[in-house]
Amino acid sequence: MNTVIEMANLKIGYSPDNILAKIKNLQVKQGEIISIIGESGIGKTTLLKNIANLVKPISGSLKVFDNEQNRGRIGYIPQKLGLVKHETVFFNVLEGAICNESILRSISGFHDDSVLTKVEKSIDLMNLSDKIDEPIKRLSGGQQRRVAIARTMAQEPKLILADEFLSELDNKTVDSVWKTMLDYVERENTTLIIVEHNIERAKLAKRCLKLEQNKEKGYSVLNEVQI
Amino acid sequence: MNIARKKYPIFITFILFTTWLVFVNLVDGDWASLENSLDNLSTFFYESLWPPNWKVIEAQAYPVCDRNWDFLCSPAYIGIMETLKIAFVATGFGFILSLPLATLASRNLYRDSIAIPFRVLLAAMRTLPSIIWAIFFVILVGLGPVSGVLAMTFYTVGYLGKLQYEAIEGLSNDPLDAAKAMGLKNSEIIQRVVIPETANNLISQLFFMFEYNVRHGSVIGIVGAGGIGYYISTYLKFLQYDKVIALLIILFGVVIIIDLASIKARSYFVEDATFKSPNLFGNFFRGKKNK
Repeated sequence: MNTVIEMANLKIGYSPDNILAKIKNLQVKQGEIISIIGESGIGKTTLLKNIANLVKPISGSLKVFDNEQNRGRIGYIPQKLGLVKHETVFFNVLEGAICNESILRSISGFHDDSVLTKVEKSIDLMNLSDKIDEPIKRLSGGQQRRVAIARTMAQEPKLILADEFLSELDNKTVDSVWKTMLDYVERENTTLIIVEHNIERAKLAKRCLKLEQNKEKGYSVLNEVQI
Repeated sequence: MNIARKKYPIFITFILFTTWLVFVNLVDGDWASLENSLDNLSTFFYESLWPPNWKVIEAQAYPVCDRNWDFLCSPAYIGIMETLKIAFVATGFGFILSLPLATLASRNLYRDSIAIPFRVLLAAMRTLPSIIWAIFFVILVGLGPVSGVLAMTFYTVGYLGKLQYEAIEGLSNDPLDAAKAMGLKNSEIIQRVVIPETANNLISQLFFMFEYNVRHGSVIGIVGAGGIGYYISTYLKFLQYDKVIALLIILFGVVIIIDLASIKARSYFVEDATFKSPNLFGNFFRGKKNK
């Protein structure tokens, strides 16, 4: 199996004086499903943002897809989902799909038919066809999460990073949203990393990593745990 | 009680006291000028300003009026219409030019080495009041509404640009992060996230700027940049203050009407309005869709 993420002696945080976590060594293979757990404020989201290349590491080595710049390989679902709230379901899912076409086509608005078909297929898979022209702000929490997944599906990334995207949902909706996501990643052999502080939900993943505070050193460390 | 808890009363007292001290410094002991001011105002008002001379809504002697209603040939109508046209065109041009500059000046989209020079540029355009831009363009392109349009456009770019980049920087990070992680380019992020998410603010600012530019029409006209200000400055030169006050009353009425229309229109685009707001930008950028 191909290695998707490789970390060695990685220090993350927002400044050298304020290191949040240190990761000695970690390898993530293609198709793995991983949950990252830990207390609030310990650095879970920062770790995810480092992997998504939104924040630069303080020091150490972090390779994602061997650091090859490739449009659309990483799908990121932030805590608040990162949807364009004033826009429709179609518009939001299209945002993911345009990663598969040239920048010129994307900006011109003359999208390829295959891209539009992909958008409609993803919306259909998430049972949102009747909401296709509905603005995001009028959807329920569960429906919004399904839109975020549809956007990621239309993007067809090789790595999905999801930050507490199951929070604020009732158990029944968690089951259905999780099942949809799982079906997708298994079918497409996509790597999935979810950040969770709820242990029960973290158990849904096949491998679990825990960020734990090292009081002596003042930052957290990443350990593999069985839950 | 902890002194920190009293910081607001202390701060307000400090501000009031400092303001008073600076004022005393500016008056420089000449309190008599202030004592006489009310008398002066009364004399000026009853001898020169009041009653307003409503001849400004009658047709001018020259050129000869060839329209059905005299009002359509009056200085008030010609001046107000020209001011409205100048403000409309300048606001439109200003908006088109300021939006790309504002995105380049936004620190959540571009790094500081790009954003800061564009902020300085916008600040520079804002620093010169529209009347100075008007003098500059009157020298460049001559008297008339074109110099008014150019002056107002420049000022609008500086002012609107600042409002726009502040709105962009106020955006939630999450949609931007999701788009950046996908590998979308900044031009795509602006089109697909920034503009749709700030559209209501941008439109609201556009209405505000139009109203602002109409008000400023009276100022830039004074230096020959067209509009109602041209007539105001002419009447001022000939000490016809009663006509000036008549034009100002008309301008005030027009501004009130625009202000009310603008409040109504802006409320239509403001977040959490009680009624459904249309999504103009979204409809433009959605692209074709298979039915």
